[in-house]
Amino acid sequence: MVNDGAPDIEVVAQVLGGDGEAFGVLIRRYEPGLLRFATRMLGNPDAAADAVAESLVRAYRHLAQCRDPGRLRSWLYRITGNRCRSHLARRHTNDISLSDVPPLALADGSDTWAVLERGEQVALVERALAALPAEKREAFVLKHVEGMSYEEMATVTGARIPTLKMRVHRAREALLVALEEVVR
Amino acid sequence: MSPVDPRLQEALDGERDPGDLPADLREAYTRFIAAAKLLTATPRISVASRVMAEVRQEAAAAHRGNVARRLVRWLGQPVTVRLRPVWTLALAAGLAAVLLVPWGPNSGPTPGVAQGIANFVGHFPGARSVEVVGSFNDWSRGMLHLSDNDGDGIWHAEAVLPAGPHEYMFVVDGERWVPDPLAGRYVDDGFGAGQQNSLLIVRPVSAQP
Repeated sequence: MVNDGAPDIEVVAQVLGGDGEAFGVLIRRYEPGLLRFATRMLGNPDAAADAVAESLVRAYRHLAQCRDPGRLRSWLYRITGNRCRSHLARRHTNDISLSDVPPLALADGSDTWAVLERGEQVALVERALAALPAEKREAFVLKHVEGMSYEEMATVTGARIPTLKMRVHRAREALLVALEEVVR
Repeated sequence: MSPVDPRLQEALDGERDPGDLPADLREAYTRFIAAAKLLTATPRISVASRVMAEVRQEAAAAHRGNVARRLVRWLGQPVTVRLRPVWTLALAAGLAAVLLVPWGPNSGPTPGVAQGIANFVGHFPGARSVEVVGSFNDWSRGMLHLSDNDGDGIWHAEAVLPAGPHEYMFVVDGERWVPDPLAGRYVDDGFGAGQQNSLLIVRPVSAQP
């Protein structure tokens, strides 16, 4: 029985050794981030849940193909990113329809006005993000939501670091413009 | 879309201390970080039970496969059998009868109609071990080893595989995954980082001249 704090490399070895239940440790570890990433990419929590579930099952099936289990996180994000891209391609557009962006996500809080204000801000940023082309959205989310370095982003996306920097810079420009419009 | 001041981009990339920015850029920096933080809320959904149901199903199927593999391995292991002399004589007579039956020219193991023979050859001078993993063995290690009996760095293995396309890679010294430089055909490994698997197309014996 592998414990929840075991390093990825040990958990992967345990799963490959035939202990399928140990895969649950990896799900608990990476599911929240993957769902967050997929939701921001697809703009729809149900589609994101499908993409992440399919990605995790695919990861389990091909775990032996993970050449560097020490960098499992990047590998899982790569599979999920591919899944999201396929999903977007099936819609014949890289962009999220604004109707897919979830309605105001009310945070916990006692001050209703503060909650509404925050909800409006979230909706605004989500809409600005949704208006970006998929590859810029992906670069922005990996950098600023998942907190990855450009090196890890390159592993996840297969794109070169200067290309990723350019995508992130362009995404920031669009978001800052959207934010300034609200301030005015 | 107006370009953003490069100093702000540098600060957001962690290449410049935001405290060194002029007041207006520092304000834009703070506003941007606050906006990005709004997106970090984790959705309150989980796919864990759905994924684990699939994993358990696959693990059970793999277990059934493992039982079959263990049986095959057991049949291939040497065992010591203690026999009474009289049984030894009977066994010797039976063996002699078998040996007297004339063998055909193709008495070796032959692939079925929908199978073919795959030859794996690689030049890995100095390698301690080379094996093949691929779609035909679920990318599992330890199932198909190449050998280099004369130590010239050229490693060989032969396997009977179902006819059709198979993706594969060599694993050198148990850790280095290498595509077959002689494969001639390659396909993207499907994980998006531009890595490629070698592609082998096995022709069925029925189609071979």
